[in-house]
Amino acid sequence: MRILELIGLAVSRLGTSRLRSMLTMLGIIIGVASVVALVSVGQGASSGITNQINSLGTNLLTVNAGASFTGFTRGAAGSATTLTTADATAISQIADVAALAPETSTSQFVVNGDKNTTTTILGTTQDYTTVRAYQVWQGRFLTDPSEEQALRVAVVGSTTADDLGLTASSIGSQITIGGVPFTVIGILQTKGGTSVSNADDQIMVPLSSVRRYFTGTSDTVRSIGVSVATADEMSNVKSEITTLLEQRHNVSAGASDDFTVTDQTQLLSTATSVYGLLTVLLAGVASISLVVGGIGIMNIMLVSVRERTREIGIRKAIGAHNRDILVQFLIEALVLSLLGGLIGIVVGLIASAVIAAVAGWGFTFNPLTLVVATVFSLIVGVIFGVWPARQAARLDPIAALRFE
Amino acid sequence: MTALIDLERVGRTYDLGHVQVQALADANLKIQEGEFVAIIGPSGSGKSTLMNILGCLDRPTYGRYVLDGVAVDDLDDNDLADVRSRMIGFVFQSYNLLSRTSALDNVAMPLLYQGVSKKERHKRAEAALDRLGLADRMSHEPSELSGGQQQRVAIARALVTEPRMILADEPTGNLDSTSGKDVLEVLHDLNRAGRTIVLITHDSDVAAQGTRQVHLRDGRIAA
Repeated sequence: MRILELIGLAVSRLGTSRLRSMLTMLGIIIGVASVVALVSVGQGASSGITNQINSLGTNLLTVNAGASFTGFTRGAAGSATTLTTADATAISQIADVAALAPETSTSQFVVNGDKNTTTTILGTTQDYTTVRAYQVWQGRFLTDPSEEQALRVAVVGSTTADDLGLTASSIGSQITIGGVPFTVIGILQTKGGTSVSNADDQIMVPLSSVRRYFTGTSDTVRSIGVSVATADEMSNVKSEITTLLEQRHNVSAGASDDFTVTDQTQLLSTATSVYGLLTVLLAGVASISLVVGGIGIMNIMLVSVRERTREIGIRKAIGAHNRDILVQFLIEALVLSLLGGLIGIVVGLIASAVIAAVAGWGFTFNPLTLVVATVFSLIVGVIFGVWPARQAARLDPIAALRFE
Repeated sequence: MTALIDLERVGRTYDLGHVQVQALADANLKIQEGEFVAIIGPSGSGKSTLMNILGCLDRPTYGRYVLDGVAVDDLDDNDLADVRSRMIGFVFQSYNLLSRTSALDNVAMPLLYQGVSKKERHKRAEAALDRLGLADRMSHEPSELSGGQQQRVAIARALVTEPRMILADEPTGNLDSTSGKDVLEVLHDLNRAGRTIVLITHDSDVAAQGTRQVHLRDGRIAA
């Protein structure tokens, strides 16, 4: 009860000098707001990355053909013609490989009625949706390659479908790809994501059809997407694939491989941890302003103790213990820092909501951040409030009463 | 009958580093309950030192001070604060009210440190202000009151804890003669009601109000 009264006393006391109290709190407000905003933004960014990882496909390994050499000139990655469908078949025999999709691609001019576009034509097989985490929106995806040997059927990505004016009712209609008529058998759901190449702007056709109509009859593929059964087996499978392909391609020990196996989730988790580190760093910088805010509180409390020396003397003369004075001034410092902290939390949340809206990722609200921010501002209040309060409590009543 | 106040060879020396100043030397003083004692002396005679010791704001350098049967010269700060809270009501020359605080809250403040509930505090503060004829001034702040009214608020604050004695240090020093008389009359009333009053002054007219006068000169109590 006494504590509640002392809090009331402190609040009304701070209310008598509102501008000063506001300015004193400003340091804490800025500090807490920036910490809250940065942590929230950091969490938003890394949850965005997590979504992207999931949109790539779960437990995905990608085997890419290496670069070709013309004399001493290294060509683009994937330009080597060493990766074949036979390699894909061999990889599919490895235990823990859940699904696999060979991929070969070409760029073609596509026409649907009066609309046209130029996009990627991807030759692949029925497991492509599993490996790369696509969902069919309308119609169906490709089926067993043996049944679709060089069939002119196409599954269209959502962006390409928009470009070509294809809708749900367009299933079964004809489009021309590089001058060859194809039947639209399915349209995929939008996958989104913010990767450089738009995962929704492509047309998928049977691997054999790409070879037959566009790239020629060679057996090579650009890449093979491999979905591993469990996340724990990722590195095992990766090294098994490497060993297998080195044998098959007769890569002598010590020579460089003519293929690469990349683990994209690993790359992205690295990116996540970089984001995390960045968040911690920025929050660390922001917390410096919290310390500066604390010093501001200490400064104003010392001024206050000096201004109210006579009051302290009076209170002591009429029976206040040292502890009563200590608690009175400490509570004033705590009210300043806590109120500043709470305002800072509100400001920080508004700021992070605005940033999240602008950046286009979800606004994440972590109650733990609020608890930590509140506790931190309390700690700042105690650390920077104790010394002035002790100064006040230790004043000699006689000297304090005589103080002008 | 034991005295309320019993000073035995009390002295106070201030150590100013290079010199020692003997502000009070070998003071013997007994004050009985219900007395109205005026302590008189010119400035520099040790009045303030004596008043600080009597008011338990300061400890004697040597000697014994027994207040209501308790030796207070060896109490610690908190115990002294309790003694002040329980036994002594202070009235200062410069009133020493808290600014920007209503008369009621000023008067109620000593009770805060006795742990009295807010409701009870207000009730007793109102009664004390009423007794001093300030019932219509309770919500006024000191700056809105005349000097005489402020001093009466201060007396109400001194009274609110029902202390054994009132220690008044030049209570009329800042007042015009009418208000001064007024305040002295209040002290007389309190004394008639049985309260011990110790009045400290340099003014012999004011000192004449006491039933007994104690003269201080150069830090010594004159016989």
